[in-house]
Amino acid sequence: MSNKRLSLLRSQGELIHALRSWFFEKGYTEVHTPIMVISGALEENLEALSVTEMGLYLHTSPEFAMKKRLADGMCRIYQIAHCFRGEEIGNHHSSEFRMLEWYRVGASWWDIAHEAIDLISTLYGARNKTPPNFEWISTSDLLSPTLSPEEWFFTWVDQIEPTLPPACIVYDYPHWQAALARKRQGLAERFEVYINGIELANAFDEEASSMEIRRRWRKANSIRSEQHKAPHPIDESLLQAIDKMPRCSGIALGVDRLMMLLLDEDSIQGLL
Amino acid sequence: MKYQTSDFRNGLKVEIDGNPYIMVYFQFVKPGKGTAFTRTKLKNMISGNVLERTYRTGETLEAAPVEDKDMMFMYDEGEFAVFMDNETFETVNIELKSIKDERPFLTENLSVQVLFYKGNPVIIDLPNFIEDEIEYCEPAVKGNTATNATKPATLMCGATVQVPLFISMGERIKVDTRTKSYASRVK
Repeated sequence: MSNKRLSLLRSQGELIHALRSWFFEKGYTEVHTPIMVISGALEENLEALSVTEMGLYLHTSPEFAMKKRLADGMCRIYQIAHCFRGEEIGNHHSSEFRMLEWYRVGASWWDIAHEAIDLISTLYGARNKTPPNFEWISTSDLLSPTLSPEEWFFTWVDQIEPTLPPACIVYDYPHWQAALARKRQGLAERFEVYINGIELANAFDEEASSMEIRRRWRKANSIRSEQHKAPHPIDESLLQAIDKMPRCSGIALGVDRLMMLLLDEDSIQGLL
Repeated sequence: MKYQTSDFRNGLKVEIDGNPYIMVYFQFVKPGKGTAFTRTKLKNMISGNVLERTYRTGETLEAAPVEDKDMMFMYDEGEFAVFMDNETFETVNIELKSIKDERPFLTENLSVQVLFYKGNPVIIDLPNFIEDEIEYCEPAVKGNTATNATKPATLMCGATVQVPLFISMGERIKVDTRTKSYASRVK
């Protein structure tokens, strides 16, 4: 094995150790949840890979299972999970990748944003790198919320994303991009973390009404059926958990992308 | 023939609005909540201008009607580089500004592929490796066999590449033209 590859693997191990220490100090408990699940996703643009023999799917994120843990009474939980998504391949995309998720009862997305900045800065420090200076950016200042989803995303990818500041917290997303976040005044209560124009993390002030989530699941499935794609099964046990879950916020962060930035790599391929 | 976004790769030759382009960059981008796109940079084969375009999955690009021919680099003549057909001895001229990234790696009599668009020679494809002699570099550091410490070296053909510290002036080296970097010593 080349020296470079060995040092990449060792550095990743050290960073994961620093990451776990950060969560331990903040009072978070590490959880492990099943990778094979009855429903892989809720959103129309996510493709879950199926485990045909079992009638199950590989999870696209551990979000559903972690929300069930919150409903069980856990208050601060995190997980580094291998996740799987079909039709995603490139320097910053892979069918299998590592996702870090954490959820905190009683927190707003604002609290989670400050935790995310603190964690990222700690890891930059662990590599003796200067932590990024985060700017705060509202999408509604950049793009009209009345654009159609297709126009919105095209303009975002074509014009906005390549010109974002080196590090930023992007918030005020249009309501139709809420996914599992609360909505308020026509906007979704969520934010994303960008470093070097790369989408690193996505966070929600979590929607806590199972009726609302069921409605969004059905809407996503009707969009999928128009596109001749199979619907995502509705996970009834998640809907039950959502009604029991206390007010909370949570975040999902691409571990491979963060490693790529911390280790000055230009692709996530080869990090796993 | 059409290329799907999943066919996109560097070096793809396409035609847009009646002009030939070569893909010099592509990046798959899928926003967490959105649909998939591919960002590209496309270089106009004639003007050298670079176009930045984002394509949605499902969109296609038309293949450029180009033909390639093995030819030998002869010399520069004014604003042109002259290449000769190895079989017919016919020569063609290509504007130097269209091949400014490749020109430094053209050694005398190097065999390259010349691309013709609608019968006109437009650009060239270099072989993956070339060999040339070092015209100038700082003296070698004996015993330093590390390959991560480098110094600049100017080759006879005019290109400058980073080489390991143990390399001396007058040595022949092999250069990877795709990454424009040192590959090995030529014994």
